[in-house]
Amino acid sequence: MIATIKSEWRKNRFRPAFLVSSGVIAAITVLLYGVSWYQALNPGTAARRAVSILTLYPDQFVNNVMGAGFPLGAAIAIVLGALIAGSEYSWGTMKTSLTQGPGRLTMWFGRVVAFEAWMGIITVILFVVGAASSVVVASFQGHTIAWPALIDIAKGFGTIWLVFAVNGAIGLALGTLIRSSAAALGVGLIYVLAVEVIAVRFIDSINSGAYQWIGNLFVNQNATALTQSFTSPAFGPSATPAISADQAVVVLFAYFAGLVIVAAALIRRRDVT
Amino acid sequence: MDNTTSTTIVETHSLTKRYGSGVLAVNSVDMSVRRGEVYGFLGPNGAGKTTTLRMLVGLIRPTSGTATVAGHTPGSPASLARIGALIESPGFYPYLSGRENLKVVADMASVSQKRVDEVLDMVELTSRAGRKFGTYSTGMKQRLGVAGALLKDPDLLILDEPSNGLDPQGMAEMRKLIKDIGAGGRTVLLSSHLLGEVEQICDRVGVISNGRLVIQSTVQELLGEKGVIVRAQPADLAGEVLTRMFGPEAVVREDGYFHLKTDPGQSLEINRQLMASSIGVSELRPFERSLEEVFFQLTGEKQGS
Repeated sequence: MIATIKSEWRKNRFRPAFLVSSGVIAAITVLLYGVSWYQALNPGTAARRAVSILTLYPDQFVNNVMGAGFPLGAAIAIVLGALIAGSEYSWGTMKTSLTQGPGRLTMWFGRVVAFEAWMGIITVILFVVGAASSVVVASFQGHTIAWPALIDIAKGFGTIWLVFAVNGAIGLALGTLIRSSAAALGVGLIYVLAVEVIAVRFIDSINSGAYQWIGNLFVNQNATALTQSFTSPAFGPSATPAISADQAVVVLFAYFAGLVIVAAALIRRRDVT
Repeated sequence: MDNTTSTTIVETHSLTKRYGSGVLAVNSVDMSVRRGEVYGFLGPNGAGKTTTLRMLVGLIRPTSGTATVAGHTPGSPASLARIGALIESPGFYPYLSGRENLKVVADMASVSQKRVDEVLDMVELTSRAGRKFGTYSTGMKQRLGVAGALLKDPDLLILDEPSNGLDPQGMAEMRKLIKDIGAGGRTVLLSSHLLGEVEQICDRVGVISNGRLVIQSTVQELLGEKGVIVRAQPADLAGEVLTRMFGPEAVVREDGYFHLKTDPGQSLEINRQLMASSIGVSELRPFERSLEEVFFQLTGEKQGS
């Protein structure tokens, strides 16, 4: 397993997709802070929800980066997962890996570990850029720099990593199932950005919401609930989420494990032609 | 059984692969590759060569039948540890250099990174190893594929159509490389549809057609006896002289030609004896069946079709 992880790490560290994604997530975070800062200083019409400058200071940065992490970061994770798994088939590198010696499952789990480590790195980039942006805002505004409690930073980090990990696993599983990166990332993005949203709305509308509990089991309903649980009075009033943070964590872990295991079964059973 | 001293390194019994669509790609193949030989696996496109090789490295599971590779089940870590394989086109990451690609493979195979430079040297790619794989020519890609297959210093090297897509010079270089590898005592299982390549490189061949192994023997056995063809006038007198020289069993008269079962090195003496008997010789040439003729005969394919 260690050999496989080393190999996966070596090939991914210069992979343009990871480097570009890291840059994109950093740019999105800076943009989010920049736009919010502008909106906080220029409230404009009442039609647009006002942004409080208090949400942009370092003590709120964990709550604030949740907006960059989901759904945009999650979409990037799907794209990366689909590229990583699907390109192994289109480049013929799957057969190269499988003829080297480690078993199919060892190779797959090594790949997942290396991929999820990259999701951790992208999460770190998101948090570092978010924290740095909040310091810039606070410095310009002459506000004291105070940080959230370490435990809150750790919880926030865990949340974003889990959301990236699950969405990355969707991409990995689709890439493995379809054996093509382009089709896999297309299907993954359409699911997250459209299919799930429409399906949940439909389910919620049946029999006056009698089946809402089914909608609450969808993957990104739980991701939404988990990221929205990071809030504070500075962000204004917020509705009580239908899914608790604890339930969301359990459901997301279940999806992660399920997707990785299903893909492992496919890799183990299928011929590589 | 001591797997390192067994005389056969690849053994299959009734190896069969039927795809879900009902296509019988490989039909009850019994094949054996001896340790230390260069074995040519010949067949037309679509005959089942690649499917058989994929089964030998564990990429495809057989529908029925058995196989052992280096004494182990195909695809098992113990078996793969002793095999280097290049199946169809070389599979590498286009955004990495040739050297980095080999390092990725070396990590996966738990091979020392030092070995990467050794194999790059063997395939004469050292000077181009820093370039991205995506920019390589077809010949360089194939050579990098062979380098990847050599990383583990394997007992058995499986090369599936390594000359595919190469220009004549690239093909000649690849042939030399395979000859050199085989000369080092390593077993090479080479699949090809290039008959000249197999004839020049291989010790033994197996011919597969429509999924069935139709013959397996040494190249010499397959080509049959060498001989000499003579056309001379007067023919009856020439027949007497030749029969006197080689005996009646060695002389076959057919369509105005004499087929002599003798070493082509005798040509000068044949010519001298015929001339001494005032016989005019209009044709005298060595006779040897080409692998191409044998191949078309065995596979039932038409030459030039």
